[in-house]
Amino acid sequence: MICIRCLQDSAEKIAEAPDGSGEWEVYYCERCNYSWRSSEESEITVPDKRDPEFQLEDVNLDALQILNPIPPLKK
Amino acid sequence: MAFQSLRDFMDALRRNGQLLTLHDAVLPEPDIRTYLRAAADLGNDSPAVVFDNIRGYRGYTVAGNVHGSWVNHAILLGMDKTAGMREQFSRVDELWSNLDKGELRWVSNAPCQEIVVDININLYELMPLYRINQNDGGCYLSKACVVSRDPNEPDDLNKENVGIYRVMVQGRDTLGMQGLPYHDFARHLKSAEEVNMPLPVAICIGTPPFLTTMAATPLAYNQSEYKAASAIMGEPLEVTSALDSELTVPAHSEYVLEGEVIPRQRFCEGPFGEFPGSYSGVRKQIRIRVNKVTHRRHPIYETLFIGKPWTEHDTMIGLWTSVPLYKQLKAEFPEVKCVNAIYQHGLTIIISSDMRLGGFGKTLAFKVATTPHGMSYGKNIIIVDGDVDPFNLERVMWALSTRVRADKDVTVVTNTPGMPLDPCSEPAGMGSKLIIDATTPVAPDRMREITMIADPPGSAEAAERLQEIWKGAVKA
Repeated sequence: MICIRCLQDSAEKIAEAPDGSGEWEVYYCERCNYSWRSSEESEITVPDKRDPEFQLEDVNLDALQILNPIPPLKK
Repeated sequence: MAFQSLRDFMDALRRNGQLLTLHDAVLPEPDIRTYLRAAADLGNDSPAVVFDNIRGYRGYTVAGNVHGSWVNHAILLGMDKTAGMREQFSRVDELWSNLDKGELRWVSNAPCQEIVVDININLYELMPLYRINQNDGGCYLSKACVVSRDPNEPDDLNKENVGIYRVMVQGRDTLGMQGLPYHDFARHLKSAEEVNMPLPVAICIGTPPFLTTMAATPLAYNQSEYKAASAIMGEPLEVTSALDSELTVPAHSEYVLEGEVIPRQRFCEGPFGEFPGSYSGVRKQIRIRVNKVTHRRHPIYETLFIGKPWTEHDTMIGLWTSVPLYKQLKAEFPEVKCVNAIYQHGLTIIISSDMRLGGFGKTLAFKVATTPHGMSYGKNIIIVDGDVDPFNLERVMWALSTRVRADKDVTVVTNTPGMPLDPCSEPAGMGSKLIIDATTPVAPDRMREITMIADPPGSAEAAERLQEIWKGAVKA
């Protein structure tokens, strides 16, 4: 299914309400690591209503800043 | 005061009228964040809030705002509920002696391992997770103590680290985490990644309340947070060994997530609403694979609402940031009287000190800017005279208003380390130091011949007398 943040076909359902109430489901995108719950506000769950500042549609995820650098391998 | 568990402390809060349980049905989002925001806004005596009726998580319990007010903090310190910040600073300073003398008591069959889950781990089913701020990238563990050791010195328990870092749930059984290069955790990570080995970690939620504060405190690298917490508590801290590794975990932790950092890879993490009151960007950070979850029966999921200040974050770490800075300054310069670094984890630091010689205020500013914490966090450094209480902002503003000569006393040191989460830090991790010396000039520096007005002798006793009469009158 489509991730509501990066808009790629890389999301799936990963959980349901554990008390069996069917109150909500949780979805997760394995590409951008976003997750959301079906019961959240429409500003979160509906792509067109989401704040564009927090969308990752055109962002190159490989080029994101790495705050903790990977050290050289010891020989 | 020797709270071995979160539950012990919550009982003390309850007895003191500082804990409420919300039985109203709430949704994970937005209701938990809304109520915890509201609790933080209740002021200096805001209570801890327990949620026991969360839709979809019936039977689960969330606790927030546990360290969230100065009254709760006074109860933690075993003080009267009315104790002010300066009094609480003095109490923390007093408790902060012999931190290395703390002891651990190893227990078997620890409560934190009453339930063991090692197959089909789904963190969304095991814990009542919720999105803390609306535009966070997912659900975060905001009050989790992360335990790790240096793979090169696995038997040195003093170098075992317990730190609070932001931890993002990424899927059923994986986590993202931010451990910045100047954090102790990063040293352990580097040792593991240099040889391409997974780094074992234990992530503990709902920990003894003094361990939580020590995990958020800038201790020295070879100081054990466990021993420090024990020294503060005044009795051995009960711990046990993790099941999949040798790591030490608090015996009474509500949850322990055992796992390992996947070496030499970074994954998309964030954003997260951070302590400066702004969202941090999306960055590439480490990933932890969770292999085992242990927890108490009917565990309490402890969370910390963090966002636009003032929040529990600020109260929880404020004095525990101020006192170590004070100790580090005092060791070199006994003239120092007090340090207030409660503002956004020490982005602003106010130092109160007697002056040894002209220009001494700036000397103190340089010193605090070279401490492990001040190096990156310390951005605005204000020095006031020793008779100015740095927790009394009216007096601090008086000092700024009447002492500061803009041409001599205001200094900016550019292009220094900065705190990456500070929205002013550009590029993230770089910054500048603003030094404001608001002290009275002493020789060989000089000022105009001015005599300051002294308080009338006996005014402190007079204030006590007035309080007695006043409070008596109110009762009548």
